[in-house]
Amino acid sequence: MPDIINVIKGCLAGSRKDQELLYRRHAAKLYAVCLQYSGNDDEARDILQEGFIKIFENLIHYKNEGSFEGWMRRIVVNTALEKYRSKHNLYRVDDIDSIPEPDASPETDDYSGLEAGDLLMIIRDLPPKYRMVFNLYAIEGYSHKEISQMINISEGTSKSNLSRARTILQKKLSLYSGMNKKIISG
Amino acid sequence: MVNNEANIDLLFRNGLRDLEVLPPADAWNNILPVIRRKQRPVILLRSAAVAAVLLSISFLAYKWSREFSLTPVNPFSAYENAVQPVDNPLSGRAARQLPFIVNDLTDQRTVIKNAEKKAITVSASEEVIPQHAVEYLEVPDNSMIPENIGIPVLASASTGLRYRTAAIDAGFAKPAEIIYEIPAEKKDRWSLYAGASPDYYMRPGLKNNEVPDQIYRSEQSRISYSGGIGFAYKINRKLSIQSGVYYASIGNEVPGINSFAGFRPFDQTKGDHNFEVVTASGRIYTNNSDVFLRDISADRVLTRYTNDVFDPVKSELSYLSNSLYQNFSYLEMPFILRYKIIDKSIDFNIIGGVAYNFLVSNNVHTVIDGNRYDIGKTEGLNPILVSSSMGMGIEYSITDKFSLNLEPTFRYYLNPFGDVPGVKIHPYSFGVFSGLSFKF
Repeated sequence: MPDIINVIKGCLAGSRKDQELLYRRHAAKLYAVCLQYSGNDDEARDILQEGFIKIFENLIHYKNEGSFEGWMRRIVVNTALEKYRSKHNLYRVDDIDSIPEPDASPETDDYSGLEAGDLLMIIRDLPPKYRMVFNLYAIEGYSHKEISQMINISEGTSKSNLSRARTILQKKLSLYSGMNKKIISG
Repeated sequence: MVNNEANIDLLFRNGLRDLEVLPPADAWNNILPVIRRKQRPVILLRSAAVAAVLLSISFLAYKWSREFSLTPVNPFSAYENAVQPVDNPLSGRAARQLPFIVNDLTDQRTVIKNAEKKAITVSASEEVIPQHAVEYLEVPDNSMIPENIGIPVLASASTGLRYRTAAIDAGFAKPAEIIYEIPAEKKDRWSLYAGASPDYYMRPGLKNNEVPDQIYRSEQSRISYSGGIGFAYKINRKLSIQSGVYYASIGNEVPGINSFAGFRPFDQTKGDHNFEVVTASGRIYTNNSDVFLRDISADRVLTRYTNDVFDPVKSELSYLSNSLYQNFSYLEMPFILRYKIIDKSIDFNIIGGVAYNFLVSNNVHTVIDGNRYDIGKTEGLNPILVSSSMGMGIEYSITDKFSLNLEPTFRYYLNPFGDVPGVKIHPYSFGVFSGLSFKF
């Protein structure tokens, strides 16, 4: 299997084979990121496609420093951000109260039964503005100041959105956890 | 509570880290055509640009060559004086000589006389002077050159026809041999030159890279200059190679950064620099502890002394300027090939080659009342830049040894100025190099 440097060189030279190879290698991981940032599959697919187009266009600017996968991920996240900025006014904000309370609070934070797919589903259920802030803060590691600049909100709003996102996630985790326990216990 | 929040964050961060989901099967089919479409215009644009440059050069060269060739100058006039020296004792006799053609089969000689386009046949018994004697060419235009002027040529230059001298006057059959010296070709293979050029730098935009592009677009190139000395070696009549050492100074303006003086009494930190400014060429580090910097509209200034920590106006610092100026100085070693396409009193050349640019100094300053105020340095610059250049050269000979040069040159940098993530700028410049050269 050719190493990533050779694949990049091939892509830069316009090799269709290398372009497809690069896509096939990384599409699954990056599509998971797209799903994480989008509420529906169509939007995720758009982000993936636009993200890859940008990746190919900007390959010439990639310096062989740091993780190539990380570099690609940043481009995809930026694409998701652009998409969010372009239509965030259209998004509906669900009220936290509309989320049903769990039957009973779990005694401990035991979410061991949850798989990555469950977590993805939970995070995608978040209202877009909460999902965006949670993703940028908790997953990507940006500060509230950076997030405020990225999506044109104040730092206070960023903090508040994160807090609401966590509350919703906590509730949903408990629901999932409770459901899993019921299923296991029979 | 805090612990719980951190747990949720960690749960999602770790849980989603290695998640992979296969994208829809048709996703790649939608990506590929777009890549192809976007790649093509770049290639086409570059090809079109190269073609345009080459066409322009060819057109100019053609135009120049036409202008020179249409100039009504008698090409033989240079020889007139040489052939007819005032004190030439044979000039009177030579006036009566006419060239003729020897027919090898019949041994008849045909004298060519252009004035009347008639051929006069001379008998075979006429004595023919031996080879290496003075020979004459047909004079092409009677109106421009008197009939009695002969044009000497070397025997080896004849092509098929044998030109010999015949004497119409039977009493003068064998003139004394006259050897005319044809000026030898000049062998000035080396030349030294000195000159300078103002340069204007341009930089292409950064597509799809928002933050770096904003930084980049906020900056402006300043008129730069280069100058130096060099030498050239003439490989043959058309081709020469040149090199030398130039000093090039490149300027860049970073607007929107307010600078203040008088910060030293407030500087309580031990760090080696108080401010960093993110620019497209690299990161500026202040080395002047008296300076305070503040970004007006963006977040290019990184410092401990943020707006909520220190207010330069309340602290009554002296306002300096709202722009920073970066200066990069390079020693440039070019390797240029020069091809002469018109070799006249004004020569016309095509020049092209590469140059290695070694960074020798860089500084950042601002200007207050016409005086420089040092700020610091730019870090992260490439110490060696490689540039390619292409241009035209016009050379006007003032004397045999000295000539004036004018060279409009386009230059493209093959590697970027600095190592800024997401900002790899390959600038290009246009300059008109003018100078004086001395041949030896």
